[in-house]
Amino acid sequence: MIDVLPTNPEELAARLSEPGWLKEARTGAQAVFEAVPWPTRKTEEWRYAAGRLKEVPFELPLALPRGRRLSRDQLPAGVKRRLAEAELAGFLVFVGADLVYAELPEELKAKGVVFTSLHQALAEHPERVEANLYKAIPARQKGDANDKLPALAAALWTHGVFLYVPAGVEIGGPLGVFHVAEPGELAIGRTLVLLDDHAQAAYIEEHLSEKPGAAVHLGMTELFLRPGARLAHANVQTLNPESHRLYRQRAVLEKDAALNDLMVNLGARFARAEVGSELVGPGADSEMLGVYFAAGDQHHDHHTLQHHVAPHAKSDVYYKGTAKDRGTIVYQGLIKLEPTAQKTDAYQTNRNLLLSREASVESVPQLEIAANDVRCSHGSSIAPIDEEQLFYLATRGIGRKGAENLLVAAFLEDVLGRIALKNLAAYLARVIEEKVRG
Amino acid sequence: MTNRLEIQDLWVSHDGQMILKGVTLTLPLGEVHALMGPNGAGKSTLGKVIAGDPTYQVEKGRILLDGEEITDLSPDERARKGLFLAFQYPVEVPGVQVANFLRLALKERLGQEPPITEFYARLKEAIELLDWDEAVLSRYLNEGFSGGEKKKNEILQLMVLRPRYAILDETDSGLDIDALKVVARGVNSMRGPAFSALVITHYQRLLNYIVPDVVHVMMNGRVVKTGGPELALELEKRGYDWLKEEVAGA
Ligand SMILES: Nc1ncnc2c1ncn2[C@@H]1O[C@H](COP(=O)(O)OP(=O)(O)OP(=O)(O)O)[C@@H](O)[C@H]1O
Ligand SMILES: [Mg+2]
Repeated sequence: MIDVLPTNPEELAARLSEPGWLKEARTGAQAVFEAVPWPTRKTEEWRYAAGRLKEVPFELPLALPRGRRLSRDQLPAGVKRRLAEAELAGFLVFVGADLVYAELPEELKAKGVVFTSLHQALAEHPERVEANLYKAIPARQKGDANDKLPALAAALWTHGVFLYVPAGVEIGGPLGVFHVAEPGELAIGRTLVLLDDHAQAAYIEEHLSEKPGAAVHLGMTELFLRPGARLAHANVQTLNPESHRLYRQRAVLEKDAALNDLMVNLGARFARAEVGSELVGPGADSEMLGVYFAAGDQHHDHHTLQHHVAPHAKSDVYYKGTAKDRGTIVYQGLIKLEPTAQKTDAYQTNRNLLLSREASVESVPQLEIAANDVRCSHGSSIAPIDEEQLFYLATRGIGRKGAENLLVAAFLEDVLGRIALKNLAAYLARVIEEKVRG
Repeated sequence: MTNRLEIQDLWVSHDGQMILKGVTLTLPLGEVHALMGPNGAGKSTLGKVIAGDPTYQVEKGRILLDGEEITDLSPDERARKGLFLAFQYPVEVPGVQVANFLRLALKERLGQEPPITEFYARLKEAIELLDWDEAVLSRYLNEGFSGGEKKKNEILQLMVLRPRYAILDETDSGLDIDALKVVARGVNSMRGPAFSALVITHYQRLLNYIVPDVVHVMMNGRVVKTGGPELALELEKRGYDWLKEEVAGA
């Protein structure tokens, strides 16, 4: 683990031709990074992941934009495969820190939709970026070890995505972003999504590897849903099993805004996802789904936060996944209700299916409720695959792998069914089948 | 040739407890045998062990299918060789639709995707013969099925998968008289030179509809008597006590 930033944030800001406020934000984040300790086993939120965090090679060189561009034909094969089936309305492709390819129909541009790199947005829509960047995920939040990674990310991010959908505009198909990890690099990215009043969009961000070799990806995603906005959002990582992924996401939902969120961890050696929604307007609705599958020596670590500030809002977390081999899974979830959050509906469910004796799960749901007129529930379960079911299926001729595949698909069916993006769900079902059989 | 299922001096334990104590039984292809015996005699254990249930320990003896020893094969390998077990207590598998499950099972048995038209023809034929509704095909396997529906579903699977050797473990229990006739009709439709069944039952009632070629009686982990269909009638009339005495006296 590193104690000082490997790159000077002021130099980085200059190199990326950033405005003064951003340079200051970066140096402010540097101060936070230097002031707070790294998480350890004693840090409650990192109890089960501090060991894996220690293994993350933060000393790898920081991925910097190098001005690479690719034609559509030259795009990495894995991206092309996804494009062939994803039916996207527009997409961006990043290789390392470079935005190498972008496609957005003129029709959407004409409606005022902005879908581009964060640095391009800084040049073309500086006020929108400045008003929102770091607002959902500031460098300093708790003043403790939990700020270490957000501070690092705030100080040294080098590339990112900006999506703006103007009031009342509805985007038909999903927008996609592909991040192709480069082995041997530390990539730090940010995503900023702004949906104005009653705007509607679907956004899928996928992180994948084209080559073997360890890469580190640190990502922060801020989602702002103005009154009545509706967003289907998915973050999917299928990185190679040597890579490391650290991710935090915060959505801010205003009055009657609705989010259908999906976090998918299938790849990486160590993947940590902290996914939170702040319900600041009455009538807001945050559905937060998670799907994961830890095989081999993978460790998938999930944290959800349902933070209710406004009354009459709803949130529903449903995280489900599987582990096999020596895979380990962690789920820690918090429903937090402020005294102002009367008439809240908040639910949290975590279910885990284990395909081997060596696989393990820690599931820790938590409630912190300061309002009294609310409906809240939480539940978690950890179950080994049912041997009686396996035997029953076997007596019909279905072998172990086939039966496991059937039972895993059955187990995940309901959560996949709740994904707003239907052909993403079909793709995930396929990747999961490959993992069961692999 | 050696077209038969053979159990030779089979000893089986569970948790250190010996349950089967030297079962010997031969089921030639093309015949239907009934297996009777008091509660706890070991009938279901025998059926499960033949099917390859890994929770039981085979201590001694052999199981042969068409002359080939299958004692150490996995349950799915045995099934692909033509064995089938209709469970006394069919297992619920939520989330797995009956039709999808059957297609996969057939695929694994055939080693390739079954021709879709033939698959649906088989399904349709079985559903009609069983007086059933096609809606069952999209339900989850046994989930929320009534006791009778579960038993009917075992026969549906039997008819679609078409094994050569089937063990039917108390498929008649829990069935009303109409369902019993329907199930018997399903099994009888399978009868022929390339199909055998070992029908485990407590009741003569079923054997009125599925008339066995041979009747075996198990007691205390062994087959103690083998006879013709009249043996079942005698047990119906006299119960098991006389046989217990006969066995004790021998
Ligand atoms: N899985 C098991 N665990 C513990 N005991 C078992 C198990 N399987 C069988 N046994 C015991 O072995 C004996 C035989 O049981 P089995 O179910 O084979 O009898 P059965 O002849 O099928 O009886 P029934 O007519 O009541 O169905 C019983 O004493 C039973 O308790
Ligand atoms: Mg029994």
